[in-house]
Amino acid sequence: MALLRLVSLLVFVLALEAQALTPSHYLVASDVDRLQAVLSQPFTDLKSAYFSVVGLSKLGVSVADSNDACSFIKANVDSSSIEALFYAAEASQAISSCEIHVSNETRDSLHAAVSEDSTVSQIHQAVSALSSLGLPLASQEVVSALKARISKEDNVVAITLALQTASRLSQQAELGEILEEIEDLAARLDDLGGVYLQFEEGLEATALFVSAAYALSDHVDMEPPLKEDQVIQLVNSIFSKKSWDSLSEAFSVASAAAALSNNRFHKPVVVSAVGPATVSHSHPLLQLHVTDVLCQPLSSANVLVESATSVASKAAILSQTPFTLRDGIFELNFMASKPASGYYQFSVAVTGDSRLVANHVELKVKVSTKVAINNMDLSVVDKDQSIGTKTTRVEYPNKGKASFIADSHQNFAMTFQLVDETTGVELTPHQTFVRLHNQKTGQEVVFVAEPDSKNLYKFELDTAERKTEFDSISGTYALYLMVGDATLENPVLWNVADVVLKFPDEEAPSTVQSKNLYVPKPEIQHLFREPEKRPPTVLSNTFTALVLSPFLLLLILWFKLGANISNFSFSPSSVLFHVGHAAMLGLMYVYWTHLNMFQTLKYLAIIGSLTFLAGNRMLAQKAVKRHEGK
Amino acid sequence: MSLSVIAVISRFLEEYRSSTSNKLKVIDAYLLYILLTGAFQFLYCLLVGTFPFNSFLSGFISSVGSFILAVCLRIQINPQNKGDFLSVSPERAFADFLFAHTVLHLVVVNFIG
Repeated sequence: MALLRLVSLLVFVLALEAQALTPSHYLVASDVDRLQAVLSQPFTDLKSAYFSVVGLSKLGVSVADSNDACSFIKANVDSSSIEALFYAAEASQAISSCEIHVSNETRDSLHAAVSEDSTVSQIHQAVSALSSLGLPLASQEVVSALKARISKEDNVVAITLALQTASRLSQQAELGEILEEIEDLAARLDDLGGVYLQFEEGLEATALFVSAAYALSDHVDMEPPLKEDQVIQLVNSIFSKKSWDSLSEAFSVASAAAALSNNRFHKPVVVSAVGPATVSHSHPLLQLHVTDVLCQPLSSANVLVESATSVASKAAILSQTPFTLRDGIFELNFMASKPASGYYQFSVAVTGDSRLVANHVELKVKVSTKVAINNMDLSVVDKDQSIGTKTTRVEYPNKGKASFIADSHQNFAMTFQLVDETTGVELTPHQTFVRLHNQKTGQEVVFVAEPDSKNLYKFELDTAERKTEFDSISGTYALYLMVGDATLENPVLWNVADVVLKFPDEEAPSTVQSKNLYVPKPEIQHLFREPEKRPPTVLSNTFTALVLSPFLLLLILWFKLGANISNFSFSPSSVLFHVGHAAMLGLMYVYWTHLNMFQTLKYLAIIGSLTFLAGNRMLAQKAVKRHEGK
Repeated sequence: MSLSVIAVISRFLEEYRSSTSNKLKVIDAYLLYILLTGAFQFLYCLLVGTFPFNSFLSGFISSVGSFILAVCLRIQINPQNKGDFLSVSPERAFADFLFAHTVLHLVVVNFIG
């Protein structure tokens, strides 16, 4: 039972480790220099002086001319403004031997600013100023004022300032509730794709939150409720921007960087290779930068290769091998283990400090080598093999002296071996091509040379079979061998020999024109739909007459039968009926020529209802007449 | 064989001439007219082709529909069938005939294109 629990715990821990994030965005040395340069700009006012002086001190650099800075601060401080006092106090504290003296009234105004009626920003500035000037302050009052203000100003920036304020208070004060705000605020961070974690208010708010959270956590000595992955995501967000729009943004990034590189709980580690992660016989050392977020090397850490396995063969080459530190760079001589060329998956661990976060890194290392071509044998083989083959050996990089002649009864063959120059191990690079180039016509044909089971490369050219590729153009072709691979340091383009190919049925050689795909194409003329063929007009007219002719017959028959309209009563309803009916028939014709269904229905409704009423009346009269007549 | 057919036909025609009322003969003449019209349209279609097909269809259906409606009118008007159509007076039949024709012609003209 205990064993099962242990195993499941181990699996759980391993699973966690496997998913651990490493920073994908971090500051490199040039970025840190740029940040420093931004913060070193000449001061324009007290606020910019504050950002510059305090920002540089966070980076561990002192301002250029401290006396100048100090006098600038003293000259520009306005004792009536809490904000000005805040900037002056903080900046002067960052400069050594720069003291600002304040009168009692100023001190009282600072104390008065600490109340429920001031904003969190004002409380923060007053408390920080009092603290930096070394003046006493009533921590419990501050705490209650902050608590009251937090409930009123429930935004990220205000709560961050409250955290920062709390970190300046006495440790005896009840900071528990304010400490809980860190967790609430952390819940408000937006997770973007599992890579970034930031406030929607932006980079500055996120960076200031980080520095405030760690300041307060260090002050009360309680680990902030941020998981390791969250810390790395915060690192990604804050250091993804490498040039800063404003001095305040640069200041916030410097604050966050200082907080993350020097607090009691979490220290994110940045591991990156120096240049491309490639080793070869000429460069046998694998060099790594192992730094904190401010690009300072972790000199006290132990860097270890937990395992190095070949990607192709999955064989483990190294296990638990340490790196050596030299000039701030961690080095390992990988070629000493004599790895074959290819890619290797390194699992690197950084230990030595319990605060380290993201200290397990996966790295892909490439081992390159130089290729040598051995035993290049060229021969012309007769197809029916009645005449023996004549093999010529050519040494790289020379060209075969005599040209090889192959006509339709012969095959041209080439065999060679590709080996690692240093170790002699056989290689199978990704690209081994044989190119035949006709100098006169400019035509070139490329074939692939394939290795057999013993890694011996063979290329055979059957002149008769391949004549279509050559367009049956006989002549002298220069034969090139092209060898290339990602892990080769010396790709090869070698003119091995000249081959004279004779094809049967030769047409007049035409110069090959390179296919030009980008000329204007012939214009497409749009063909409108042709109207369908109609029968001749005479035929149509004949049939029209024919179809209408039965009407004549009808009239004749009706006349013969004696049908008449003598009984027609000129009552208004019958007249209206007939007029309406005629109108409906007329509407049908108009519908055919001009109208659509909706309009027709509209007119039909009007005419139809009139006709209906009139017809109803008329037919009723007729019915009465009929009954009377009976 | 042919003699008996001719005899039957001539007897039928004689009976028709004598026993059918004039009103019905008028309608029969109309029926013949409609029939011939439809037949000639069909003949055209067979000889020349179905272009334009929608016009042919609407014309043919007009003929067929008119024929059917006229047959209905004839049945309803015939005094010998009075027992079957107690609620339908001849005037009513004629009114129905006209209304149905209106609907038919609406559809036909729509389709004739």
